[in-house]
Amino acid sequence: MFRKILVANRGEIALRVIRACRDLGIEVAVVFSEADRGAPYLALADQAVCIGPAAPAQSYLYQARIIAAAEGVDAEAIHPGYGFLSENSKFAQMCRDNNFEFIGPPSDAMDRLGNKDKAKTVAKAAKVPTVPGSEGLITSEKDAARFARTVGYPVLIKAAAGGGGKGMRVARDEEALIPGLSAARAEAEASFKDGSVYLEKYLDRPRHVEVQLLGDRHGNVIHLFERDCSLQRRHQKLVEESPGPNLPDKVRQAMCTAAVRLAKEAGYYSAGTCEFLVDQQNNFYFIEVNARIQVEHPVTELVTGIDLIREQIRVAAGERLHFSQKEIVQRGAAIEVRINAEDSENDFRPCPGTVTTWRPPGGPGVRLDSHVVTGYRVPPNYDSMVAKLLVYQPTRAEAFAVMRRALREFVVEGIRTTIPILKRIFDTPEFIEGKVDTTFIERVLMPPKRG
Amino acid sequence: MADEKHDPPRPFDVRTVEYLLKLMTEHDLAEVDLKEGDLRIRLRKGAAIPAGFFPAPATHTHTPQYPVSPPAPVPTTQNPTTTPAPAAPTKKYHEIKSELVGTFYTKPHPDKPEYVKVGSRVTPDTIVCGVMAMKVNNDIRADCTGTIVEVVAKNDTFVDFGTVLFRVDTGS
Repeated sequence: MFRKILVANRGEIALRVIRACRDLGIEVAVVFSEADRGAPYLALADQAVCIGPAAPAQSYLYQARIIAAAEGVDAEAIHPGYGFLSENSKFAQMCRDNNFEFIGPPSDAMDRLGNKDKAKTVAKAAKVPTVPGSEGLITSEKDAARFARTVGYPVLIKAAAGGGGKGMRVARDEEALIPGLSAARAEAEASFKDGSVYLEKYLDRPRHVEVQLLGDRHGNVIHLFERDCSLQRRHQKLVEESPGPNLPDKVRQAMCTAAVRLAKEAGYYSAGTCEFLVDQQNNFYFIEVNARIQVEHPVTELVTGIDLIREQIRVAAGERLHFSQKEIVQRGAAIEVRINAEDSENDFRPCPGTVTTWRPPGGPGVRLDSHVVTGYRVPPNYDSMVAKLLVYQPTRAEAFAVMRRALREFVVEGIRTTIPILKRIFDTPEFIEGKVDTTFIERVLMPPKRG
Repeated sequence: MADEKHDPPRPFDVRTVEYLLKLMTEHDLAEVDLKEGDLRIRLRKGAAIPAGFFPAPATHTHTPQYPVSPPAPVPTTQNPTTTPAPAAPTKKYHEIKSELVGTFYTKPHPDKPEYVKVGSRVTPDTIVCGVMAMKVNNDIRADCTGTIVEVVAKNDTFVDFGTVLFRVDTGS
C-alpha cells in the first residue's frame, strides 16, 4: 500500500481524497494555487504545496509542477481527482515515467476511451449498442449534410475530445447544420485544443443513465449498477440518483453487463463510468466513457456501501478487488444534488464571494461532501460547485422527503446558490414520478423568456 | 546563537522552539503540534518537512512560510557572514519569490562557491540560485537590481510557488 499520496486537485474532491487517505492510514499531501491559499481544507492534509498562480494552466494543469511537488513531498502516487488532468493520458504516463503511480486507468485505455470517436469503436467491438453516428470525424460540410440526411434530423454535433457539455450543438434542420458545425468546432478548439467533431442522431427526450465500473490490475472488472443523471442544464448535471427510476430490471442488467464488456475490451482498470442514453422505448445506446472518478460517485457509494476512492487507491496499489460481482447489491435509494455558487434566478450567473453563513443540514440519511466552511472565499477562477448534498433512504419516496427536509435546513449567506431551483425540482410532479429526460430542466423549469 | 536584539518580532521565538525540541528529546516525542489562535507550529522527528508547508490560515494577510527543521541541539546556526534579519523593517525590501516547485540550491555544486551571498550586487541577469525539479536544474535570475540583504530559503530544501528565496535592497 502507498505510504504517501499527492492529491493533484482542489476543493471538494481534494478533500474527498484526503479523507480516503486518512481512512487507509496513508499520508497525504495536496497541491494548491494562489487562489486557494488559506483554504481550510488544505490544513486537513499533512502537507500543502503551492504550485502556481490562480490560472489553471499555471497551476492545476501544470504537469511538471505537479510532478515536482510529488517529488518534493516524496509521494508514491498521485490522485488526479476529476476534471483538470484526470483524463490526460500524457500526464498519467508522465506520472508513471517518474515512478509515481497514477491513481486511475492505464494510459492506453484512457487514450482509447477518452476520445469519444475512438470509444465508439471499442463499444462496437464489445457488441455494445451505440447511437447512430458519423463513422469517424466529420471532415467536410458535405459529409455532415449527407450523414444528417441519412439518419434524419435532428442531429447532435459533438467534440471528439470533449466533456462537460462543451463543444456540443444541436442542428434541427439543414440550415442549422453549417453554423452549428462552426460553433462546435470553435468551442472545442478553445476548450480542449482539439476542434475535431463528429455527428450523432439526436435522440428524442432521452434519459441519461450511466454505469459505475471498477476494475483491478488483475483483469477483474465489475459494475456497481447505474445512476440516472437526466436532470441537466446545458449538459451540466444538477441531480443524480440510483437506482434509475422506472428502469426495468432487464434493461438495467443488460446495460450493466454491456458496460463491463466494454471496459474489459479496453483493458480498463480503476474507477470509471460508462454513459448511455435511454430512449422512450427503453433502448439504450452507449455515448461515452468517463475514464476517471466522477463528481456523482457518492450516489453509488450510498446504494452499494462501497467506498470508491478507497477502492481506487487499493487498485492502484496493485490489490485485487476483494469482492465479486455477486456481492455487489443495490439497496435503497440515493439522490445527490450539486449546489453551485450560482444565482439560479438570474440565468445561473456565477456568484463567487465570501460565505458569511454556512449552515449545512444533517441528521438521518444525509451526507454532505463539501470543502466550504463559514468564512470561506469562493474563488472566481474555477467551477462554482460548493457542495454535494446527498440523501439515502430505503425507498425513493423517503429519499425525496429527506432531501426536501435537508434543502430546507440548508442556510447559505454571502453567496447565491442553486438551492432555490433544487427545492422547486423536488416538488415537480414529473420528477417525483421519475419521468424526466435530459431536456426537462430547460423545457419545463426554465422555458425561454418571451421577447 | 541569534542575536535576539536584532531578530524581527516572530510568532515563535527561538527559545520557544528550543524548549519544544528539548521536551521532545526528553520525553521521546516523535511529533509536537501546537496551535494558538491563527498560529501553529509543528515539529516532527525524522525526515525534514519541506518549507512552504503550512498554508496561511484564512485570516493571515501576508504569505507566511513556517519552515520546519528536524530537531537539532541548536535550531538555527548563524553564518558569521550573514547579517541578522533586519529588525521590524523600516525599509521594504524586494522579495525574490520562487516561481518553480523543487529543491533550492544556493550553490551550483557542493564544491563551488555560492551563487550570491548577503551583500552581493545583483542585476536582472544575475543567477541567484538553482531550483532542481525532475532531475533538471533551473538557473534562477534576480528579477531586480540591488543588493542581497537576506538569503531566506535554506540550501537543499524544498520550495514551492511563492516561497520567498531572497530579500533585496533595491535602493532609495
